[in-house]
Amino acid sequence: MLVVLAISIGPFLWQLSTSLKGPAENIYPSPPSFVPHDPTLANYAEVARIIPVWDYALNSLKVAAANVLTNCVGASLAGYALARLRFRGRTAAGLVFVAALLVPLESIIIAQFTTMRDLGLNNTLVAVVLPGSVGALNVLLMRNAFRALPYEVEEAAVVDGANVWQRFRRIALPSVKGTLAVVAIFAFMGAWDDFLWPLIVLSDPDHFTLTVGLNFLHGTFADKPRVVAAGTVIAVAPLIVMFACLQRYFFRGVGEGAVKG
Amino acid sequence: MRTFRGTRVTGPARTAVPLLAGALLLGACGGGTDGGGSAADGKVSGHITFQTWNLRAQYKDYFEGLIDEFEKAHPGTKVKWIDQPAENYPEKLSADAGGGTLPDVVNVSPDLSYPLAKAGLLMNLDKEPVTAKAKGTYTPEAWKGNRLPGLDGAYAFPWYLNTGPLFYNKALFKKAGLDPEKPPTTYDELFADAGKMAKASGGKVATLAGVPAIEDFGRYGVKLMNADATRFTYNEPRGVQLLTEYKKLFESGGLDSQALNATPESAGRKFLQQRVAMNPGSAHDLANFKENAPDLYKNLGITDAPADTGKPNMYVMGLGINDRSEHKAAAIAFARFVTNQRNQEAFAHQVAVFPSTKGSLDKPYWTEDDGTDEGRVRVAAAKMLDGAVNYTPVVMTEEMKTVLQNEVAKALQGDKSPKQALDDAVAQSNRLLQQG
Amino acid sequence: MSVRTHRAASPWLFLLPGLAVVAAFVLYPFLSTVQHAFTDARTLTPGVWVGLRNFQEMLHDPQFWTALRNSLLYVVVVVPCTVLLPLLVALLVEKPLKGVVFFRAAFYTPVVASVVVVALIWVWMLDDRGLLNSMLEMVGAGPVSFLGDAGLVLLCAMALTVWKGLGYYMIIYLAALAQVPRELHEAAAVDGAGPVRRFVTVTVPAVRSTMVLVGALSSVAAFKVFSEVYLLAGPTGGPAGEDSTLVMLVQRSGTGLSGRVGYASALSLVIFCIALLLMLLVLRADRKEKTE
Repeated sequence: MLVVLAISIGPFLWQLSTSLKGPAENIYPSPPSFVPHDPTLANYAEVARIIPVWDYALNSLKVAAANVLTNCVGASLAGYALARLRFRGRTAAGLVFVAALLVPLESIIIAQFTTMRDLGLNNTLVAVVLPGSVGALNVLLMRNAFRALPYEVEEAAVVDGANVWQRFRRIALPSVKGTLAVVAIFAFMGAWDDFLWPLIVLSDPDHFTLTVGLNFLHGTFADKPRVVAAGTVIAVAPLIVMFACLQRYFFRGVGEGAVKG
Repeated sequence: MRTFRGTRVTGPARTAVPLLAGALLLGACGGGTDGGGSAADGKVSGHITFQTWNLRAQYKDYFEGLIDEFEKAHPGTKVKWIDQPAENYPEKLSADAGGGTLPDVVNVSPDLSYPLAKAGLLMNLDKEPVTAKAKGTYTPEAWKGNRLPGLDGAYAFPWYLNTGPLFYNKALFKKAGLDPEKPPTTYDELFADAGKMAKASGGKVATLAGVPAIEDFGRYGVKLMNADATRFTYNEPRGVQLLTEYKKLFESGGLDSQALNATPESAGRKFLQQRVAMNPGSAHDLANFKENAPDLYKNLGITDAPADTGKPNMYVMGLGINDRSEHKAAAIAFARFVTNQRNQEAFAHQVAVFPSTKGSLDKPYWTEDDGTDEGRVRVAAAKMLDGAVNYTPVVMTEEMKTVLQNEVAKALQGDKSPKQALDDAVAQSNRLLQQG
Repeated sequence: MSVRTHRAASPWLFLLPGLAVVAAFVLYPFLSTVQHAFTDARTLTPGVWVGLRNFQEMLHDPQFWTALRNSLLYVVVVVPCTVLLPLLVALLVEKPLKGVVFFRAAFYTPVVASVVVVALIWVWMLDDRGLLNSMLEMVGAGPVSFLGDAGLVLLCAMALTVWKGLGYYMIIYLAALAQVPRELHEAAAVDGAGPVRRFVTVTVPAVRSTMVLVGALSSVAAFKVFSEVYLLAGPTGGPAGEDSTLVMLVQRSGTGLSGRVGYASALSLVIFCIALLLMLLVLRADRKEKTE
């Protein structure tokens, strides 16, 4: 257990430690040393000097927030329809999402680029968000969650005359908060970490997202591993915070008070 | 430490990179017989875009200064500078080429300009009177370095150059009983020293961390391709001889055990960790050693990379002109401005690269040793550049380089004879070449 | 529900955003890939129709068979682990014990840490003179060339994938477990069922559909593996290319300005079809089990 723990957070600690190391320290010793002898925050200042890191972070945040919103809405709507409603073409609709999941994304990126160009959306943050705005994976996750709900809960509502929208909003959705949180995390992470698509679709440096911008830290003529490490920490920290904030939704025991171990 | 970019893809890619669809280009053509675009000898004015490859972070002030000065000298021009990150640059270029949004002036190395020029997207500088005139201001080698086989011309203004010394670890040399002040200068000496190193360390310290790449074959004096660059020929006897030597080296422990699938990055890391005794690099690696591996820097030795041909390897970087640019005259004027003698020299004072303008390397900065390590490497490298050639054939794609490395690995592992391995590599590469 | 409880149009209104996005930005662009698969297109040159030539070339390429073998092997080894281990981890960290928050974060960290950094650490551990080998040396075992041997490299990459998957699939399981009514567990505990029996009789049936989903997702992901192998085995795909996977071949042949888009598209199409087959296989196995 402790070994797993060690190799799990090891890489992150290593980056953290490298990012704090002062200019005179050897960062390629073999074996690596984890404790900085001369801790400094200068590397973070250097990141901010080289690139407008806060502007990039803000762009990423906008993209990620939009992605979370569209995915939570789009995926839960579609997931609900696939899991709880009966209609002709349900299997076919389900298969569309399965097929979308299987498409190797690398092979379609340029076709996506031309679609965006034709829509006149090139070089905008909207174009960054759109292709992943309702992920097939998220739809399938939500479908799975809705299916696990017992039918009885909705039947009572049907008897009470609740329409489909009310049943979705008031009964089904609150019961799958956990999966919704998972979707939110995946959507946030996906948008936040994406590199290639924003790179291809954006050309104006003012619109760059954080991952694209941080790539500038890999200098052409000089590697600055400490600064790169600081950039990595800046990029990862929000994801950890996000996890910390949302995790209570997918653990049992919310509102159940003290429970036995 | 990475090899000079442009020859190899820098940095580990984090995801699979995309496939690019060629059919898109059709739409971008728009019918014009000569590719459209404005006249090259027209008035210098209009808005142009200028794209560099990962230079913004360190040299922002330099480029903004250049642009200011150019705009002032040519009223009515406006230059928009775009800098692209290191990773996936070819993919970004492909998307822009396909989408008809290629910048007017674009930073390319010959391996990148070749496919762009072949698709009719870059201007042939030898054909256009205005640009052909500029030829004389650059060194003949640099201009030649930007000429593309089968396309009859140079497709980029020569910009900065680089060449690599070979770094070695004096402490490891001493430990093996080798004279740290007498590094090997030819391949034979290199193999001999590596053998001694392996023996003295009981096979623990390898001398090199990577298998021979195409430029090693070139420097060894192997004929890489036929004259018109339509067929690979590195399976000739000299090539087989090099691979046979490497095989001996591998068996004796002179090559690192993980060399077969090593990358320039992983090889560089081993050198930084003082696990291998020698590694090729560039002048600008010095700063990296000094800053990131001070222990190694104390024991750092620097020598010329062995070149049995007498001609060292050179990397060239250039500025291409979009053949469909709406303001060609301004684009040409700006590219010439960035690559003129004064501006190239100023850039090469900021970073350890070398100007490609005629006469620049005769200046004291590149001929007189100022006593510092940097000065010594700079002067030595500048001297090497005289007569240096870009060995890597521009038609050789990354896929063909992988083919070579994998066949070399098969020979070193003993699955195939060196001759068979090179024959197979050449056959596969020729097939890939003919498909294009 | 036997009575129709909604208007006919409602499901389609619910599905509209999802279907529209997926169709416009995923499936429609994929059509061009399908089209390219039958041409000899290059990155910058439109191809001409060549029929099945790309597929024939594939069948005659020994690299293709190596890559297919590796990708399938990856599925066979990795998927059982990613279906079971994250579930066990989820059960472990689900309990509100002291300090458990720390463990939850620890399992999740590898998911968010950049795969490049993670690979660097693994290389350092697995290197000829890395951590693992110095430990082996202490107990008197000879050094093992983890990263020099094609088979071991692949095995290490699989371990890396499983380990990165732990946190990822863990949170999917956690969300599913949170939906399981607590009473079920309590009733079983009252009946005197031990932890193992409770796992088999309560937990597994309750998260069965999630296990199937995870199985399907991770088979597709394992089949399309790229980063882990690329980073541990290098761009050549291990010594002499012995560790290449299918997506690595796509990347090798199709990228760059002179990429063979036609051939790479044909490879992508093959990957799509096999992945579809795998997915259907998993779902089929699930259905069969259910009816039994």
